[in-house]
Amino acid sequence: MNLEQLKQLKEKAQKQIALREGNKKYRVVISMGTSGIAAGAREVMKTMLDEIEKQGLDDVEVRVTGEHGLENIEPVVQVEEAGGEKTTYAEIDIEKAKKIVSEHLQKGRKVDNLAVGREKKKSE
Amino acid sequence: MFEELSQHILDIAMNSLSANAKKVQISILESRKRDWLILHVRDDGRGMNAATLKRVLGSRWSSKKGRRKPIGLGLALLRQTSEMCDGNFHVRSAPGRGTSVTASMRLSHIDRPPLGDLSATILALCATDKKMDVRLNYRTDEKRFSFDTQELVTKGEVIL
Repeated sequence: MNLEQLKQLKEKAQKQIALREGNKKYRVVISMGTSGIAAGAREVMKTMLDEIEKQGLDDVEVRVTGEHGLENIEPVVQVEEAGGEKTTYAEIDIEKAKKIVSEHLQKGRKVDNLAVGREKKKSE
Repeated sequence: MFEELSQHILDIAMNSLSANAKKVQISILESRKRDWLILHVRDDGRGMNAATLKRVLGSRWSSKKGRRKPIGLGLALLRQTSEMCDGNFHVRSAPGRGTSVTASMRLSHIDRPPLGDLSATILALCATDKKMDVRLNYRTDEKRFSFDTQELVTKGEVIL
């Protein structure tokens, strides 16, 4: 890690904190438990942040959570819309992450072939 | 299982988050002269009692498919990495007293994973749902870098 990367880190972290303010149209939730990290969730998160920035999408918030209990299909990315609709994407890699940004977050079109299940109520 | 030490760090710090920590302090000391690398992660979360600590350290990584409880697995993984690289691993924790994890390894050990993308790790920790102050201190023989989310928020500008 060099100094330049670290400088960028501060800028990026700051942007990310600033993006938390206000209500966004989309909220992207990435599960970052042990199995998620091992499956590449951190790289997925980074790709999504980069793509969101590149496309200038300022109505999107990216959040990280712990284990979802879906460790067999990690990395898991959930897109929550302001209206309350949730889409769960499973086994996401860098390419799929880009697709979710360019289709779902940019054009508002769900990527059906990457989505899993239907919205379920938590059985707790 | 983890290819980078920064993934271990993220994993351990995510445990801090689950333990409702308000603050997590990550220190990395890297010395070529002394040939060691020391990772230290300390939080002010709810901590663990002796029985829980024993259980999480005893868990072993298994590649078996199917449901498993991954809680605490990360600590066992880091211990494995540290011991494999001629280092020591130590956890101190008590209920209400937070948790402190120290893992050392020989810097030049052939199996030592690279530090990797530390900035992605910090970014992920800045994006969590809960409010947790993240501090990083990274020191090598020549360089020193520190990061503190609190600093970014209160001063509102980038300071290096």
